[in-house]
Amino acid sequence: MATRLNTKPDTAIYLYGITRQAVPSPKVIGVDGSAAVDGLPCAGFVCWISRVSHADFAENLAQNMENLDWLAAAGVRHQRAVAAIAEQTQILPARFGTVFLSETSLQTDVEKRKRTLDADFRRIDGADEWGVKVFTLPAKVELPPAESRTGKDYLKAKAAMLQRRPSKQAKGPDPELQAFGEQLTKLAVAAADGGKVSSGQRGLEWQSSFLLKRADRNKFESLLKKYSKRWTDSRRIEVTGPWPPYSFVSKDSASR
Amino acid sequence: MTAANNIVFTGTEPGDETSLLDILDHVLNSGVIIRGNLVISLAGVDLVFVGLDVILTSVETALRQMQIAALPPKP
Repeated sequence: MATRLNTKPDTAIYLYGITRQAVPSPKVIGVDGSAAVDGLPCAGFVCWISRVSHADFAENLAQNMENLDWLAAAGVRHQRAVAAIAEQTQILPARFGTVFLSETSLQTDVEKRKRTLDADFRRIDGADEWGVKVFTLPAKVELPPAESRTGKDYLKAKAAMLQRRPSKQAKGPDPELQAFGEQLTKLAVAAADGGKVSSGQRGLEWQSSFLLKRADRNKFESLLKKYSKRWTDSRRIEVTGPWPPYSFVSKDSASR
Repeated sequence: MTAANNIVFTGTEPGDETSLLDILDHVLNSGVIIRGNLVISLAGVDLVFVGLDVILTSVETALRQMQIAALPPKP
């Protein structure tokens, strides 16, 4: 391979995540819509990468990420690649936009983090991430009986019915939701806050992510169904997953 | 997708807008190796690209705002 001197590189290394095991490369399109996803040996681990355009993913990365259409398409491809690898072996997902200039700098970085990565693999072993959201349902209001109902009464009742309960409680978290969260957390390995992006959804009252051992999935679902029955007319539960464990890997601390 | 009364279990594919936001929530927020890992070399000196966190915050805010404001109908 020819070495470049004093010239800007054309390619950068985009990282999807890290596994302990080598597995066949997933048949997914890379983050840029064309590159392959390959495994690169890294300090005893395997780093899953694509070789991408330096211009798009290094030089102009910040700018591109502010284009929400670009970000949506690339973000979906990132998640698909991570998920495809996760189907075969435990993966520590990288955050979107984790880019290295060279394979060597990536390998050096991973070597420095060996202990943390080993701890992360132990923590996530046999587990997936699940997202749980609770939404308020519009309040059911009894319409006054037809005989006594004036036009004004009817409209007031109808308006109340259409109004959602406020999603932010002025007094603080609902004790029932707190109990809900605590019970779910007890079944899980760990819980984490989610929703920096999705927390703007209408009617969203509560949200959390859970690291759950696969063996405990049925218990988890039973608990959720139990609450959904309790909340038949008042709340709706949305569960997403299984996710690769994005929220349960160590954040970068002081490797620089 | 299975639904029973008021509980819905969805996968992680981008079937709709909400799923897309969930995906972005996961891939933007977390994951191993986050900060200062893009090294740019200029004249043999390695510099660290540190702007990404600021961008993420503004992106996340923009996406949240989109949900709070009335969304236009899909074309």
